Amino acid sequence: MHSLVVESLNTGVILVDADYNLVYFNHFMQSHPALKSPDILGKNLFSVFPELPKSWMTRKLQSVVMLDSPAFSSWEQRQYLFKMQHTRPITTSNEFMAQNISMLPIKSDKTKNEVDHICITVEDATDVCFYQEKLKLTLAELERSNRTDGLTQIANRRYWEERFNTAFLSAVRYNEELSLILFDLDKFKIINDKFGHQAGDKVLIESAALIQSMLRQHDVFGRYGGEEFAILLPNTGLRGAYELAERIRVAFENQIVEYKSFNIAATLSLGVVSYHSGIRNYDDMLTRADMALYESKRSGRNKTTVYQAS
Amino acid sequence: MIEITITEEQRDCLQELINVAMGRASDKLARYLETFVHLQVPHIELVSSSELPQAFAETYGDDSVTLLSQGFYGQDGITGETLLIYRADHTKNIANILGYEPDEVSEMEQLTDISSILTTTFLNGLAEQIDNQIAYSAPRVISSSETSIEKHLQDLSFNWELALKVAISYQVTDYEFNCDMVLLIPGVAIENIQQVLDQILEEY
Repeated sequence: MHSLVVESLNTGVILVDADYNLVYFNHFMQSHPALKSPDILGKNLFSVFPELPKSWMTRKLQSVVMLDSPAFSSWEQRQYLFKMQHTRPITTSNEFMAQNISMLPIKSDKTKNEVDHICITVEDATDVCFYQEKLKLTLAELERSNRTDGLTQIANRRYWEERFNTAFLSAVRYNEELSLILFDLDKFKIINDKFGHQAGDKVLIESAALIQSMLRQHDVFGRYGGEEFAILLPNTGLRGAYELAERIRVAFENQIVEYKSFNIAATLSLGVVSYHSGIRNYDDMLTRADMALYESKRSGRNKTTVYQAS
Repeated sequence: MIEITITEEQRDCLQELINVAMGRASDKLARYLETFVHLQVPHIELVSSSELPQAFAETYGDDSVTLLSQGFYGQDGITGETLLIYRADHTKNIANILGYEPDEVSEMEQLTDISSILTTTFLNGLAEQIDNQIAYSAPRVISSSETSIEKHLQDLSFNWELALKVAISYQVTDYEFNCDMVLLIPGVAIENIQQVLDQILEEY
């Protein structure tokens, strides 16, 4: 009766002796191709299943015998030990069965207090594994969208400020260079009024893409407000920041955004500031960039102004 | 609120059982790991679920720690969980302690493997003395070094008020390894273990 139960379990059961030779396996395990060949009983576990990680698993099996205690393997650390098909090939994307495995000490001789066999159970965890992976992807996507500006796909203000704050503290602590470019599309309201808001959106999207393509990987580009943007330049001094700002200004001036039958041209006003010891905090630095940007606007637009301490 | 108190005799009895279990565990571990494992004198107390997060915060503060849990269930309603707490700078050599080949095993798997070994050897030693048989669930990583242990425990709503807490520290000086094990036996299971203790005291 007991053996009937073990046969019908929805869990794999394998029994090996203390030399790891196969003594028994149940019906569930028969789906493993290695167990289809005849005369498999009595053969060594590791020769029957060459996919097993031999040295690690031997150590685990030793612990079962020597410590008289169970050992485990979880799909979270190792997706599987026995390479097997699973029962949801259509509705999950895993190729092989994700497995939770237990290795249990068995004392078959009641008179001796010695572990002489090991029972290995194999549970199908494909479901859990699949949904856990999905959850991970969803959380990553959620985190990404939480810090992205929906229209331009660059950093949103909240995330940009978070990064700026971290970069500022690091610049202060390690005395690193740090620069900031703040800029604004000139007369954006006129573009919106003349060509419509969809045209304005297209200008913002294409402008963001153009500028993003000019930046290094560690620069952080964010949409600060309606038509106001900010670029954080770690490890960059004033000269480097100014040169980049000028390159952006000129590239922008030469950009034509096509919308329906219109060719829309626009210009930028930029303000540049670099961190130095006179700057007390993050807001201080932003305010100075803003003052430089205002100076560019005031003196005729399509200009770059560097903040100079007066 | 359940009224549970542990008498002086019960505590001494448990202390004695734990000492013996620790000795047996240390012995077995030495043979398997081929190095000496020090187990430091345990601390036994009753804790309430509301104090637990704070207690962990006080002990581990801002340290970067990884928390693992392994559940167990024995006969006579003796069940609980062991928590194992590892500080990042004391876990560099686990693969060597366990006798694994370099780069063969991920860091998390090293932690689950050693947790399981420490938990089961100790609890088996305890079970033997009270004629019990304990089964174990697989160890799980509860929180890794990026999230604070206090935050993690606060997020849980416990369905018990009091737990019997046994804290043991492990040390493997040859490998500069140490970790803490906190055995928690919650709610009704405390009364079950008290009955077992009372029976031993009676026979003694």
